[in-house]
Amino acid sequence: MDRDAVLALLIAQLRDVVPDLAEKPIIGTDSMAELGVDSIERSEILMNTLEALALDLPMVHLHGPRNLGELADLLHGKL
Amino acid sequence: MANSEVFVAGIGAACGLGWGKAALIEGLLAGRDVFSVLARPGRQAPDGSTAFIGVEMPEPPDILPPRVARTAGFGARAAIAVLDEAWREAGLDDVDPQRIGLIVGGANLSSREHLLAVAEYADRLKFIPPRHGHVFFDSDIVGLCASTYAIRGFAHSLGAASASGAVAVLHAAEAIRAGRVDVCIALGAVQDVSYLDLLGLRALGAMGSSRFADRPGLACRPFDVDHDGFLYGEACAALVLRRGAGGYGSILGGAQVVDGQRGPEPCGEGQSRAIAAALAQAGMSAAAIDYVNAHGTGTPKGDEIEAATLRSMGLQQAWINAGKSITGHGLAAAGAIEVAASFLQMHAGALHPTRNLDTPLDPNLRWVRGGAQSHRIRHALKVSFGFAGCDTALVLGAPP
Repeated sequence: MDRDAVLALLIAQLRDVVPDLAEKPIIGTDSMAELGVDSIERSEILMNTLEALALDLPMVHLHGPRNLGELADLLHGKL
Repeated sequence: MANSEVFVAGIGAACGLGWGKAALIEGLLAGRDVFSVLARPGRQAPDGSTAFIGVEMPEPPDILPPRVARTAGFGARAAIAVLDEAWREAGLDDVDPQRIGLIVGGANLSSREHLLAVAEYADRLKFIPPRHGHVFFDSDIVGLCASTYAIRGFAHSLGAASASGAVAVLHAAEAIRAGRVDVCIALGAVQDVSYLDLLGLRALGAMGSSRFADRPGLACRPFDVDHDGFLYGEACAALVLRRGAGGYGSILGGAQVVDGQRGPEPCGEGQSRAIAAALAQAGMSAAAIDYVNAHGTGTPKGDEIEAATLRSMGLQQAWINAGKSITGHGLAAAGAIEVAASFLQMHAGALHPTRNLDTPLDPNLRWVRGGAQSHRIRHALKVSFGFAGCDTALVLGAPP
């Protein structure tokens, strides 16, 4: 899976958890905070994405990225 | 004292008869049969060894926005639906939120969903949704209600087994009388039982029906000589209590006492004490009660002792019916939906029949059976009993 596919997966998980964003265009420079995602939703999105990628990674390793694109880069690097 | 009066300004209800209080009173008066083999996931043993009978309600209406609804369990969505109905009827949008309280009656409310979650995540425990960390508390229903409606006075849940709903009404009335709030919502929550709970209740000897396993409509028989235990029924109800008089009628008195039992054993002495204390608070005698909404579960010992209590308290003149014969036993919600049913019958000027009461175990009491009958309730007694020796009684009065 390439990096853009990881980003697409992340955005799909985000739309599942936050149905309000189903129709909103979302790109890699968007951050979850800017999109109005709360901390519990953020954790669920990350866990769902890790499961979809079959990644066994402590959540603490996902701190740091400033937007969805950087998060996709990080996840892609762990595959 | 006028400012110590508490009345019911709004009712929301849901059970196997449908959504809303109109469906409840219509189904009760019709004595509709809604019993069948339980079908909601998690209600029957996976090995096919059970065929528990009871009553299940339709899916809750969509009230919450999808973003919130996906995080709320069945019982939480049901709570929102009944609260919405009661809230709108009472016009609470115009009340100072800090003067509104909420008491959710019921504990261990989501065991069916917990059981399903264990099965779903058994081989992928690291992916348990983070939200489970707060949703497993019963207080999540409290939080969901107070985050959806403007309730900012106080809010909490309470547990009193099958008396939880009635105790919530009692405490809500007391909160208003004590001046803590001007409005208090008592909500009897769905006791969303799993097959493990039902197996336990059957093993305990509390739940029927082995006698009518192939005829669900005949299985729930409170106060009938052929009763063999209670049958579960999903239920949920909200009552908006306000300071003053009017609406559906008043909470004139109430009491909850503990009788020292740990398990399911009923205790006539405790039941009598609760009734006497409720009547004393209302300032009236048993002779003034013209209608009793019984606890009436259909367990042989429970029915026998309750009937003896009503007789010994001098309530032979009052009409008596048992809602569980129609709705099933809502456990945590039972007391609340039966208080709601009492006020709705008061409003309708009619009493619902007790289904399957073909041969009353005590023919000297004044049972409502066979069909609905006209009666203008003036003073009603609602009794509600819970495991662990919780005996509750409420005296309800018609509006002026």
